[in-house]
Amino acid sequence: MALYAFKRSAAVLLILTVMSVLVFLATHALPANTAALILGQYSTPETQAALEHKLGLDLPLPVQYWRWAAGILFHGDLGQSLVMERPIAPILWDALGKSAILSVAAMAVVATLGLAMGVVAAVWRGRWPDHVASVFAYLGISVPEFYWGLVLILVFGSTFRLLPTSGAASLSDGIAQFVAHLVLPVITLTLTLLAHVARLTRSSMIEVLDSTYVKVARARGLPERVVIMRHALRNALLPSITVLAQDFGFLIGGIVAVETVFAYPGLGRMLIFSLERQDLPMMQAAILVLTAVYCVANLGADLLYGVFNPRIRYGGAVD
Amino acid sequence: MQREFRVAPVSRRGALALGAAAVLSGRTAAAAGSILRVALAAGVGSLDPAKFRVGGMETNYAACVFNRLTRLDAAMQVQPDLAIRWEASHDLKSWTFHLHPDVTFHNGRKCTADDVVFTYRRLQDKAVASVMRAFLSVVSDIEAVDPLTIRFTLSMPYADLPAVTSGFQAMILCEATLDTLTTHPIGTGPFRFVEYRPGDRMLLERNPDYFNAGVPKVDSIVLQVMPENTTAVAALESGSVDVVYNLPPEQVERLSHNSAVRVAETASGNWFGIIMHNQMKPFDDPRVRQAIIKLVDKSSFTDIATFGHGTPTVSPIPPTHPYFRKDLLVGADIPGAKRLLAEAGLGDGLMLEMYIPGSSPPLERLATAFRDTAKQVGITVQLHIAPQDKFFAEMEGKVMFNADYFSGRPTPDLMLYAWYHSTGSWNNTLWHYSNPEVDQLLDEARGTTDTAQQAKLYGRFQEIIAKDGPGCVVFVQNFACAVSQKVQNFTTLPLMLMDLSSTALAS
Repeated sequence: MALYAFKRSAAVLLILTVMSVLVFLATHALPANTAALILGQYSTPETQAALEHKLGLDLPLPVQYWRWAAGILFHGDLGQSLVMERPIAPILWDALGKSAILSVAAMAVVATLGLAMGVVAAVWRGRWPDHVASVFAYLGISVPEFYWGLVLILVFGSTFRLLPTSGAASLSDGIAQFVAHLVLPVITLTLTLLAHVARLTRSSMIEVLDSTYVKVARARGLPERVVIMRHALRNALLPSITVLAQDFGFLIGGIVAVETVFAYPGLGRMLIFSLERQDLPMMQAAILVLTAVYCVANLGADLLYGVFNPRIRYGGAVD
Repeated sequence: MQREFRVAPVSRRGALALGAAAVLSGRTAAAAGSILRVALAAGVGSLDPAKFRVGGMETNYAACVFNRLTRLDAAMQVQPDLAIRWEASHDLKSWTFHLHPDVTFHNGRKCTADDVVFTYRRLQDKAVASVMRAFLSVVSDIEAVDPLTIRFTLSMPYADLPAVTSGFQAMILCEATLDTLTTHPIGTGPFRFVEYRPGDRMLLERNPDYFNAGVPKVDSIVLQVMPENTTAVAALESGSVDVVYNLPPEQVERLSHNSAVRVAETASGNWFGIIMHNQMKPFDDPRVRQAIIKLVDKSSFTDIATFGHGTPTVSPIPPTHPYFRKDLLVGADIPGAKRLLAEAGLGDGLMLEMYIPGSSPPLERLATAFRDTAKQVGITVQLHIAPQDKFFAEMEGKVMFNADYFSGRPTPDLMLYAWYHSTGSWNNTLWHYSNPEVDQLLDEARGTTDTAQQAKLYGRFQEIIAKDGPGCVVFVQNFACAVSQKVQNFTTLPLMLMDLSSTALAS
């Protein structure tokens, strides 16, 4: 297991390194000239050159990359926002924290509801609970999240005025406020993610329920509840865990639309801001952090999978 | 997303949820009283006024926290701010400003002529790279004559200096606190800065020592970033914000049916128009340009582009300005356009490619209206919508024909000179127009402070442009804010600014 974990972690590090190069190159390949953009329409080639020099944008790309990467590696320094002229790190961690709260809350709901729906649909296969679950799941996944977001805002915000439709509250504002601000964004995210988990759980449950050992368990006269929960679900869970971990990575990157619609001050919004203002260092930092979260989520999935499935853990070899 | 002085995007904004009282609790004890909550589409870039480019929260926060020497009112006339009066030498090359005697910064320091000199020298510093630097190029020296008097020495006569000093970038800074300017700005304004959470919200509190007695009326202001306007409008309807800044025309209609909300609307200085490259075929022939201008029915084009929330104009001088010549607004003249095209040898029709920067629905609708009208005279227009950054980097000024938009400037000179004078920077980028009479009018107008004379000169300018301009400025967009009925004394100004200093909330 230790070797397996080590191998997976090394792969993640390699991916992150390659990604950092790609992120760096991609942001430098953007069409507009950064100095011209910062200085605006009254800038002259002379002032642009001066600013490029000040920002180090006139150095060769490898040198620029090394300065940037070394800053992060050796000093944990993500740099200074070009536009805001303040250090990026505190802004970034704050935004990441906000996004994490939203993502974790959404994941908790997606996991519980998705697994439950999958199991229910599999057990009552072909009957009304199965149909309801699948209509619900497909409706959620077929309609883009910004649309669900707007519908929820109009229904709960404008018409019934039940829930806050925008912003985030911190715990110091009281637990009720904190939760109330999360409800609509979490419902929106859940709707879009639910289908994935629910459908996958359903199909693996069906597969397991048809297997010989479940038949044996039933033949032994075990109560159906025990058969489903202890024998079937435990084995059917494996693929669902992977999908949930991948969804988490997807979530923290794909949260942008939801954060925008609900004016939720998270990482996605920060990324949009930096893209709009062509704030290179902030853009790089935000994309890199998103990449890292995605990688770590996948690493978590791999390791969890290893814990649950000895065949993967031992890689087929004698340990 | 856009360059400085570009029209701020009109499609997105947001609002604060449930009571701001809850949001504020535990952060400021002073915030217990009345709180004005304003939703804006985007957060500030820099908190440093010298760096302002886009407008929106930037300029509106600054107007709360700082003061300028002068400011512009709803008719774009210069009014005192920190300067109580000013006078020019006879040759308009030396301007003296007198400061209000009892102004203190939020940290208790007195605001003096030295702070003003510091602010302006900083704006002129190439390293600061402020957009104000170009406007201040006529200023050769700034000195403090005494603690309450500042003298500007100009390299040429310039009548509009008191309007230039109303620039948003020229907020008077406190030299001693420069190092915390981008994290905790200190100004002299009606509100004190409390905190800014990037991308989320800014909190301002009442300045009890403000030099204008009786204002401000509210205890604190929350400027909340809400990128999506549907969210902001929903928040306004549910009472969790009081003001939605810069409402797009599409949303104005929807709110006009809600009795708890009203829309404060004024013609802004942001103009939308059709740009022709005057040195490229076929626009090098003045008859073709005149024909294009004749195709534009300003009032119907305006209605189509803005759903009735724009105002037709002749030139970048907005309809709110006293120099505006309403009598020059005429409808389309299709037969006249046909005749001119025939004279130019284009009676058999022609094909034009028109480029449009994306993310501006009004501009796209304007271009579509033009395309459909042009069919009547045999002109086939192909529209190409390009992403904004690509458009501004690769197309603007390089293509023959495009639709474009610019945001307002404080004075007629700044609105026109760069665009219409043969030496003007924008003219040499966009339309390459040269008309000696226009040059002479613009030069003369910037050298006189006599408003009657200026009105005459700019009036004549509009006459020429209306018929034989380099392109066609069609309308200015209305600047609309939605406000709850409990908000009193709320004013919108043409340069997209809200005046919140005397705004009050009914309980």
